[in-house]
Amino acid sequence: MRRIARELRSPVPVSSALDARIMGAVRRLPRHTRLSLWSRLTTRRTVTVMPLSWGVLAAALLVFALLGLRHASDDLHRASKPIANALFPSIQKPAAPQRVQFVLVAPDAKKVAVVGDFNGWDASHSAYQAQHRGGGVWSVTAPVPVGHHRYSFVVDDSLWVADPTAPRVIDYDFGMPNSAIVVQEER
Amino acid sequence: MEAGSSDAVIVSRVLRGDVEAFGELVERYRDRYARYAFHMLGNREDAEEALQDAFTRAYRSLKRCEEPERFGAWLFRILINRCRTLGARRGRRAQTFVVDEAALLGAAEDHPAEASAWREEIERALKSLRADQREAFLLKYVEEMGYEEMSQLTGVGVSALKMRVMRACDRLRELLSEVHSA
Amino acid sequence: MICLGRVVAALLLVAPAALAQDARLSARLDKPTLVAVTALVDSARGAKLPTAPLVDKALEGAAKGSDGQKIVTAVRQLSHQMGSAKRVLGSNAGPDEIKAAATALAAGVSEHDLAVLRAASGKRPLTMRLAVLTDLIGRDVPVATATSLVVQLARSGVRDQDLALFQRNVRADIDRGADPTAAATTRARGLVLRPASPGTKPSE
Repeated sequence: MRRIARELRSPVPVSSALDARIMGAVRRLPRHTRLSLWSRLTTRRTVTVMPLSWGVLAAALLVFALLGLRHASDDLHRASKPIANALFPSIQKPAAPQRVQFVLVAPDAKKVAVVGDFNGWDASHSAYQAQHRGGGVWSVTAPVPVGHHRYSFVVDDSLWVADPTAPRVIDYDFGMPNSAIVVQEER
Repeated sequence: MEAGSSDAVIVSRVLRGDVEAFGELVERYRDRYARYAFHMLGNREDAEEALQDAFTRAYRSLKRCEEPERFGAWLFRILINRCRTLGARRGRRAQTFVVDEAALLGAAEDHPAEASAWREEIERALKSLRADQREAFLLKYVEEMGYEEMSQLTGVGVSALKMRVMRACDRLRELLSEVHSA
Repeated sequence: MICLGRVVAALLLVAPAALAQDARLSARLDKPTLVAVTALVDSARGAKLPTAPLVDKALEGAAKGSDGQKIVTAVRQLSHQMGSAKRVLGSNAGPDEIKAAATALAAGVSEHDLAVLRAASGKRPLTMRLAVLTDLIGRDVPVATATSLVVQLARSGVRDQDLALFQRNVRADIDRGADPTAAATTRARGLVLRPASPGTKPSE
């Protein structure tokens, strides 16, 4: 392999006009003009204002103040839903979270929790603490939003265990395994 | 222009409107990335098109380069994607065209005929690999990257990359040992 | 010119999300990691990619005790993968599809194969198909074989619940010692050849 790689590392000749072609194409593009912060702050701009806008702005500030107190999702799509529902009640509400049972066989465990992207990977979240049902079987039925999620079990606050019965996620970002679940709306 | 300015300095100049400064980046990365594009696509014409396309795109979206000091890696990522697109679109060129290119490349060996024949065989074997395996092999063995870096550039997980490199090596060994035993 | 309407819209939509996001991340990440991750999330938002998966990835890394550099690398990689996924699947792809597609790309599925699966699935969402595909690869079915099987199943119009059953059956077969490729191929053939019946139980 080293011999092959050494061969392949030899330079490859390119046409003498290549650089000129590249720069020719680049020069035809709009030139970058990055303004300094001071320039951006002091450059005059025209702002269009409709009289109706002042009323809308006042209403927006009120809604923002009220909604800022709620725990909203960081996803733009999810954040817009409570606002949209408050302003436009006819818009369809999102599907309610579904109750999903998680089961892990761990006879030697003292504590089992479910963590995932539906609870901020928080092993101390009370709704996702599994109960021991006897015979080494741990389970919890907890709310999971409709959609695609990644999750895992945390055993005794230290051992991360993928769900052996669930689809696997090839996920080596942090060296610990995950499982996938696709929750669909009950009809 | 100062000699040997870092990528970040040059990027900053380009963003302030000095389009000619971009030529320094072209000169800095052209040879290395031409080599990669040539081996991925199999011929000089396609390689130069991919390279030109990559540099143009890099210039156009230069403001979105989050780490200007690593402009080279960012540009490489763009080039890898261009090679994928061009490779999928164009398919393979005639084998003889590749042979001509390989003959032109030649190495300063004692036995130039043998050297260029060996080179031709390598190029032919490389072309027979699946595109994703060829890509992984080139990044690992020719560009001498680590798997983490390869993963960042390609968006493919480390384990998948290792599998691709292993399969590429197996296939190349198989093909090239057939040549030698023939 | 700046339209005041856009300012109002930005205020309404971005600020509450940003508040909640910052609170969870700043509670769990150190300052340099928080700055880097926030920049990546903002960049993804600008590219109209779902940002929740990026925040979740950072929270996952923090929960698993990873160092800041690994977290930033993982978030950046996921952002790239979601960008690729969105490019292939089109602007109508939902956040779940993009997440599932990014996971599939990380597993070694190519963008080309993703496009083939998209075309084979018509208007049906890809989420379950991609989750099953990723699972097969994770159970050592070669990428090309797994992709081919799932594309065939998609072309035959298989429903999500049948796909879920298919995954469970393949897993059960492998757990009992079957070769992964043989198990997946056999179960897929059975699914394509016979009509799916409701209430079919997985084999024990």
